[in-house]
Amino acid sequence: MSQLRISFLLPLLAFSILALIGAVALYSTLSGSRDPTQLPSVLVDKPAPPTNLSKLVQNNSPVQSSVTLASFRGKPLLVNFFASWCSPCRAEAPALEMLSKRISILGIAYKDRNDDTLQFLKQFGNPFQAIGVDQDGRTGIEWGVYGVPETYLVSADGVVILRHAGPLTRSIIDNTIIPALETLGS
Amino acid sequence: MIVEFGHFALITAFILSFAQGVLPLAGASRGNIALMMVAPAAAISVALAVTLSFLALVWSFVTSDFSLALVANHSHSTKPLIYKISGTWGNHEGSLLLWILILAVYGGVMAFGSRAMPMALKARILAVQGLVSTGFLAFSLFTSNPFLRLSSAPLDGKGLNPILQDPGLAIHPPMLYLGYVGLSMAFAFAVAALITGDVDRMWAKWMRPWVMAAWCALTCGIALGSWWAYYELGWGGWWFWDPVENASLMPWLAATALIHSSIVVEKRGQLKSWTVLLAIMAFSLSLVGTFIVRSGLLTSVHSFASDPARGVFVLVILLFAVGIPLSLYAWRGPQLITTADFTLTSREGALIANNMLLVVATAIVLLGTFYPLALELITGARITVGPPYFNATFNPVMALLVTVMTIGPVMAWRRGNTARLKPVIICAACGAILSCLAVLSIGSGFGIGPMVALSLIGWLGIGISADIWLQLKPSKSSSLISRAKRIPRDVIGMWVAHLGIVVFMIGAVGDNLLNSEQVVRAKPGDVIKIANRSVTFSGVKQVQGPNYQALAAQLEYRDEQGRLFAVLTPEKRIYNAERQTTNEAAIRPTLLGDDYAVLGDGDAKIGYTLRLYYKPLISWIWGGAVLMALGGLIAAFGRQRVTKSQPTNAVTAGPLSSASKVGTR
Repeated sequence: MSQLRISFLLPLLAFSILALIGAVALYSTLSGSRDPTQLPSVLVDKPAPPTNLSKLVQNNSPVQSSVTLASFRGKPLLVNFFASWCSPCRAEAPALEMLSKRISILGIAYKDRNDDTLQFLKQFGNPFQAIGVDQDGRTGIEWGVYGVPETYLVSADGVVILRHAGPLTRSIIDNTIIPALETLGS
Repeated sequence: MIVEFGHFALITAFILSFAQGVLPLAGASRGNIALMMVAPAAAISVALAVTLSFLALVWSFVTSDFSLALVANHSHSTKPLIYKISGTWGNHEGSLLLWILILAVYGGVMAFGSRAMPMALKARILAVQGLVSTGFLAFSLFTSNPFLRLSSAPLDGKGLNPILQDPGLAIHPPMLYLGYVGLSMAFAFAVAALITGDVDRMWAKWMRPWVMAAWCALTCGIALGSWWAYYELGWGGWWFWDPVENASLMPWLAATALIHSSIVVEKRGQLKSWTVLLAIMAFSLSLVGTFIVRSGLLTSVHSFASDPARGVFVLVILLFAVGIPLSLYAWRGPQLITTADFTLTSREGALIANNMLLVVATAIVLLGTFYPLALELITGARITVGPPYFNATFNPVMALLVTVMTIGPVMAWRRGNTARLKPVIICAACGAILSCLAVLSIGSGFGIGPMVALSLIGWLGIGISADIWLQLKPSKSSSLISRAKRIPRDVIGMWVAHLGIVVFMIGAVGDNLLNSEQVVRAKPGDVIKIANRSVTFSGVKQVQGPNYQALAAQLEYRDEQGRLFAVLTPEKRIYNAERQTTNEAAIRPTLLGDDYAVLGDGDAKIGYTLRLYYKPLISWIWGGAVLMALGGLIAAFGRQRVTKSQPTNAVTAGPLSSASKVGTR
């Protein structure tokens, strides 16, 4: 005689939850409210979130300073989320280097150890005007970062103009970033 | 005509597989031999029909029949022949048909062989198989029919995504599917056992070769996928914790657990309900993987044929194929409980630890894959779960697993102690300490993670070697050869597979610790220094391929003495038909390390971006995977018959135990 046992119901329960998640995701994708391939940012045309981060410094340096978004007001700014553990970030390093000649870039080291970030900069160059440290990823959440690398163009008055998820390539710079920069008059 | 024939064969297969799914089940529960006999006959016919249908599709790809919508959308007349053939499964409809083909062939082979198995069990297993293939045939015929014609045929096709035009990817999907679908055999065994309400040692013994075969294929399939990502995506990485990769890793982890737990069922008659659950889980996870990949719900670098509308169908299949067996498990599973007759420090205990760790690892991957989706649905926030999460959670679990891996095999069943246990542990511990010291003498500043990994390499490598030596050591009465002959094949297979893990770890740790990387913008004539070599960029030149044009950089590699030892030519290709560019990395693989070069953007004026890597030991990663698969094959098919299976003419449709248990007692 078999009796029902709770522990034997658990797999079914776990599966039901998973299937429910899948079904809801599928429903919202099909009804058009969700598009997994597009990564629209709710931030576009809205003011960039106020960002105040501790500045990346050499580990043994006693100086603790901070970097704020507000201090960049007055001219367009590129905000780039990167991390030493992300391979595409390495790939886009030369692209950023090139862009840094036209626009100042604020780097945000996303969920990374300071040592690793410094090593990364030493190896791949430092195109950034300043680098903020976002160790716990809070700033990333405020900006709605999907994954590193991710780049935002912020206008002189602090409004997000565009967002690009993924590494910057030549064609993205030429076809998206540069035209947007030109409309900003930079 | 051939196309219509293939379509017709597919419809025939659908009807037959429905019969294969329903009639034998009824027959087995009523003891009706005639109905049970339908199972093997139908399974063989389905296999033949699907094979014909698949060949018809391959034929239309090879002959570039652009009146077929699928061929017109995914092929091109200038494509090399091998990619015309592989183009058959380089798209959703065709790869689904390949999936079904493999499923049907597994069923056919099972129907043909396995003569010793009781008829009721065999009928039920084939019936479950038939139901699964009915679902997928319906999926193919009703939503993804590969045989749809176009009313007017275009002059040429649209071509295949260029990054899929690659020898690695030509064989990657078939391998992976052999693994995924092979797990359906274990699944069918498990569901049949739940219907019967009984599991015995012979059940595990019959199931094991199927699981092993599937596991080997899955291992190779995953390794091929990772290899492809390594040389084709051009980032030099070999594992990205991408949803699609995770989707293949989860069934692999579950299947690995299943291989180990089924040993306990076979040898000791314990862990029955757990093994049944694992068998269901392993196949369910491969269906979940299919769901993720096909529906495009999660963004991935690997998914090329996704469409949410198809996701609905896969979800429905998933609900039936997983929901029903798990309900059955909740109902019948408790019958399979046995009382444990072993202490925790025994072979059984070690295998349970192995299973726990592997299931935890599976759960970690599952959580990392689904959590972003769940969070997005609840809060709307988009997050990615990347390497930091997996490194912090998955790796420690794997470290524990490797720790147990040395001790488990030298423990005895029921109570742990054997003569080998102590010396093996001592040797392994020495190995761990020595490998730590060896590395510290070379350099310092390695983190705790790599240090643990290195000592584990010593621990496992030396531990297994000690075990092998102790079992082969010539004694007065027997020579090395005669002792070697007496070692069961599955033990040899285990050694090879476990050594594969050592080799894999050497590769992973070597690449992680020692790899060097240079990203530069270079003009012709520039010299770049990387890892003891100087690389001269002597310029780019135009290359004309069969269906692409390429810009190829010439990189001359010289060693410290200035001797030229290699010329690498990374390419940037522009595919004419598809109007896409790809980066072809140039790789010079050696056992010691790979030289890896990628040509990026640029022009003659500002110079070209070059990404150069030196990746020490990285090829060991795939070497390790090959060894694992080889070990699996040795264990699966080279097994010595310890107990000869009783030829049973079990026509009794009742509990199969009465017939089959005879053979094991």
